[in-house]
Formats: sequence, structure tokens, C-alpha cells
Amino acid sequence: MSYFLTVKNLVKNYGDLCAVDNLSFYVKQGEIFGLLGPNGAGKSTTLSVITTLSDFIKGEIEIDGLDILKDRMGIKQIIGMVPQDIAVYDHLNALENVKFFASLYGLRGRQLTNSSIEALEFVGLSDRLEMKPKQMSGGMRRRLNIACGIAHSPKLIVMDEPTVGVDAQSREHILKSIQTLRERGATVIYTSHYMNEVEEICDRIAIIDKGQLVACGTKSELVALVTDAQSIYIETKIPASFELDSLKKKLRNLPDVKAVALEENSIRIDISIEKSSISKLLEQFLSMGLPVINIKTEVPNLDTMFLTLTGHELR
Amino acid sequence: MFSVIVKDTREFLRDRVNLFFYILFPVMLIFLLGNLLANMDKAEDAIGTIRIQYQRDTTDPYQQQAVMNFIGKVKEENGMLQFEETSDIKAARQLAGEDEITAAVLFTGDPMEIQIYEGTNQLKNKAVSAIFSSFIQSDKAYEAVFESNPQALSGLVLTQGEYVEQKDLGIHRTMMDYYAVTMLAMVCFMIILVGTGAFMGERQSKTINRLIIAPQNRVFLFLQKILGMLPQVAIQIVVIMFICVVIFKAHYAANTSDNLWLFLMFLCVTLCMVALGSAIGIVLKANPMAVIMPVLWIMMFFGGTYSREMHVKGLTEAMPIYQIQQAAYDLVIFGHHEKANYVIVISLLIMLAALITGAFLFSRKQEER
Repeated sequence: MSYFLTVKNLVKNYGDLCAVDNLSFYVKQGEIFGLLGPNGAGKSTTLSVITTLSDFIKGEIEIDGLDILKDRMGIKQIIGMVPQDIAVYDHLNALENVKFFASLYGLRGRQLTNSSIEALEFVGLSDRLEMKPKQMSGGMRRRLNIACGIAHSPKLIVMDEPTVGVDAQSREHILKSIQTLRERGATVIYTSHYMNEVEEICDRIAIIDKGQLVACGTKSELVALVTDAQSIYIETKIPASFELDSLKKKLRNLPDVKAVALEENSIRIDISIEKSSISKLLEQFLSMGLPVINIKTEVPNLDTMFLTLTGHELR
Repeated sequence: MFSVIVKDTREFLRDRVNLFFYILFPVMLIFLLGNLLANMDKAEDAIGTIRIQYQRDTTDPYQQQAVMNFIGKVKEENGMLQFEETSDIKAARQLAGEDEITAAVLFTGDPMEIQIYEGTNQLKNKAVSAIFSSFIQSDKAYEAVFESNPQALSGLVLTQGEYVEQKDLGIHRTMMDYYAVTMLAMVCFMIILVGTGAFMGERQSKTINRLIIAPQNRVFLFLQKILGMLPQVAIQIVVIMFICVVIFKAHYAANTSDNLWLFLMFLCVTLCMVALGSAIGIVLKANPMAVIMPVLWIMMFFGGTYSREMHVKGLTEAMPIYQIQQAAYDLVIFGHHEKANYVIVISLLIMLAALITGAFLFSRKQEER
């Protein structure tokens, strides 16, 4: 089966640091593909290589049947990038910004103007054509950032955390826009720190950690990987004298515990469902002098899955 | 093709900091320095009466007559000069050493030599030198006429106004003219910062990554960025020259063709600095204001940009901006093009080298984080 994007055995180093280590995945035509991973996992580096921003040492990348090494210009033409940082010109207004970036893709004249206005309409900035980025709110700047990346109607849109620092209303608008892009036939690669966003819009998700692929599949496929675990939230009061790292280590070493996360007023522990023994766990808590104020169990979700697969939280 | 040029021009014209720094600031400097330092052109001390004792010890009657004619003419026209003939030059020298008289002068030998024994007043000594320099020049002129057409001398009648005058340069030069040229040179030099900022600005706004991933030939893109600065630099030079001439009444060259040549020279220098700055901007991570600016100011300071009194032998001549200023003065004052042409050729060669280097560096540029 041929895929829209295929990444095979990708290796990318920064000096001695291996940022992407033998990474392989594929993306189908017209799907929203989520890349999940903690900071430094290699997500942005992977996106850089796919968008031709960076070279790589080993591996193969094919987009829409084009080899990235042999047909770089062809690939550039069909890619649209929405970078994590807002990359627009402060002294140009919204329409001028979008028109400039679209013109780099060969759009001219009326087609350029129409496509630029359409992109701005798409992100809900049609009434802000003359407004300069400095005069815009954070959410509006983010939306302008998206418009600059999509005005030339790319087949593959790469979005690197496009909702960072935006208000709820703008985030909702952006997420809806991305789904609309998919409906129009575009393929989207999406990275985010917000698990709920990824759950909401992504058709398939790849989990990356330390430059390697940990898991890849639909949400249900990924959750199925960790269905033998359940999350137990134990509300407690951790004395000031407790060293959090050693406490976490002690709990992690308890039998059948798969992962531990310390939260504000509670401790989340993922334990094996099959071998679940909550009473033993509570006994351990009490023996360590930790009071049990409340207890709650939860079925696995992407958070659980991420914690279980990588051993640490997303953020 | 023109989208980068249009974009860069728009950005430049809308950025108030740019407009202030590259247009308003130099214009203000020309106005302030030109007016405040105009007094440096004026004498601060009065020379007073100049008393000269002289002895004629030359055997050539023509030379003796020439001396007497000159002294007679100068005494007649200028009451502040007092000439007294003496037969004891030693006593006169002693009086000069004691500042009783300004100088003792001995006209001796054949061909005639003029030996001047000065007092200690430097200002008066300069005046004495100037007087006898003019005598030597007029004597040479007289000799030249005597040798080529002696008959012309027979009909010569000295009347007031019939003596050698400094060639009229056509323009009354002021300090404003000096700064109109040096500030233009300064702007051209400072434009290296515009060149550096062209790519640093793209880096800071993170838009450079969008440029890198665009389906454009990188060398072509680099050249577009350079061309994008062409309207800016032309606007700057034209605006500064226009304001200097129309508002401050400063003068550049006496005729249009020399002014156009001056514009061409500064345009070439500016483009050279833009190309150089752009190549530096691709690799430079530090703030150009902190790195390049001090170097520029030092070069301009020792190059006499801010004051024509600043001249350190050996160092000043080594400053490129000094050479550019000299070429400009040669062009605007004397209409000589040689130095200006030299500056144009060197600028174009440096620009070419910078363009090749910059295009190479930009074509290998990877993601900016």
C-alpha cells in the first residue's frame, strides 16, 4: 500500500546528540496525524527534516511519491508549514503577510489576492485584512501564522504546536479549521502538548520519545496497548520532610505498579488491572506515613497510555 | 521576482527606527555639526602689526627690483605690514629673537634665496610665510612671462586689482558642505547594518525558516534580498542630498554630471556595504549594533567624519571612509574623477566577492531555531 508520507529509518544528529534515532512511520492521504512526545523527544526535528528545513544523515522520506533527496523543489511546492513560533512580518498587514508568503509559491495577480483573502477568511481574519500583527491579540496572530502557511493550498500541512498560548475561543477556531482542511483533502501533521487536542482531532497518533517511535496507531489502538493498566488517584498529604524523588522511586518499586506521577494534591499510580491489589497499595501508603484522604480509579486514556509507554508525563 | 523587493521596501519605509537612524539622524548631524563647527573656520586671534626688517644682499638687479616692487606694493595696500630695510641682518635677527620685530629677512645669492628669521609668535610667523610664498609665486609668474614674452612686460602697468588671485571655485564653501559629504559617507557605511539586519531580522522574526522551505532557488532568493535593499539605499542617498541642498543650502559638486557621478559613487559604496553586511548577517549571531557599530564609529572618528581636525598620520589615511571622503571632495571641489572611479571599482569588486560568499552561505543555510 502506498502512503502520502513515508518516513523510513530516519536518523538525524546534532553533533554528538542523536535527535532522531531510526524513526519510521507513515501518514495516509487526507488524515490528521498527531506527533506526541515530551520536550526534546525529536518531534520538531522530524518536522524540520520533512519540511526540508534540515538535512538528515540516514533514512528515506517520500511525500506524495516524491523522494525528498531527489525532488526537493517538488516537495517544497506541496508543503505548507505552520511553525511553532509566530513567523510573520510586523510591519506588513495581515493581507500583505499572507500574500508575500503565498507569492513565494508562485501565486500571482488575482489568484494570489483571492487565495490570500480566502486563507484569512478561513482562519476568521477576513475583517482584519489591514491590521498589522502588532495590533492583534495572541490568538489572532496564531491564526495569521496559520493563514501564511496554507494560502498556497498545500497538500501536506505541517503544524508545530499551533495553539500554544492562545485563548480557548481561538483554540476552538483553530482546531475546527484543521478539521476543515482535512475535509478539503489536505493531509495534516500536527504536534501539540495538549493531549485533549490530539485526542479530539487526530486520526492517528505517533508517540515519540528520545528520538524513537514508541507507538503508533489510532487512539483506540494506542489505548488498547495499555488496557491492562488502570490509573488510581490517591489524594494524600505529603509531609514536607518527604523527598519527592525518593517517594516516587519507592512507589514505582511497589509490586504491579507500572508508572507513578506526582500531582498537586494527589499521586497517580498506574497498576496492572489483572494483578490489581488496591488494598496492598493502601497498606504501603499507610506504612510510609502517608494519609489516604480520597481514592479514585480511572480507565486508561491517552494520558495513561503516554505515561505507561514512556514512563513519564507529556509535559 | 519582485515580491521580496516590495516587501523589504515596505518594511523599511514603515519602520520608524530605520527612518530615524538612516535618514533623520544623519540629516540632524549635518545640521548640528555644520552650524556648531562653522566657527572653526573663523580666526580666533587678531594678527596685529607685522614688522619686518630686511636686507638686500643679492647682486641680480632684476631680483633687487622685484623685491622692491613687491614690498612697495604690499606696503602701499596694507597698513598692517611694516617693512624696514637694514644693513645689519645680525642685529635684525636678534630683534626678531626678542620679538621686537616679527621677522628678519635676507634676500641673498644669485639665483636669489630668501632667508627668514622668525620671532616666537606662531600666528605672525604663518602670516610672514604666506607673504613670502606669494612673493615667490608672483616672481615665478613674472619670470615665466619674462622668458616667454618679454615685450608683454613693457606695457605692464600695475593698477589696483591687477595681481594674482586665488582661482574662483565658483562656490563659497562652508562647514555645512564638509558635513554634507562626510555624513553621506557615514550613512553609506552605516548601511552595512541594514545589510546585516536583512537576514538577522528574518532570523529574529523566524520568517527565515519560511523563506528556506519555499520552493525558490536560494541564490536567487539571496540576490532578491540584496536587490530589495536597493530602493532603500537609493531613497536614503537622494533624501539626504536633497535635504542638504534644498534646506541647508549645502553644496556638493558645481555641476549636474559631477553630482550624478557622486551619487553613483555613493550608491556603489552603499551596495558594497549592503552585500558585505548581508553576508555577515547570515553567519553573525551577535547583535550587529554591539559588534559592528563600535568598529564603524572608530573608523569614522579616525577617518575625520565628525571633524576635519581629526587627522592621525598613517592611521587616518588607512581608514576606508577617509579615502571615500577624499574621493568625494576631489570630485565636488575640483571635479576630479580619478579617486571616485577608484572607489567605484574597489566597491564593485568587494560587492561581488560578498555576493558570492553570501549566496554560498545562504544556499547551505539550515533551520534557524
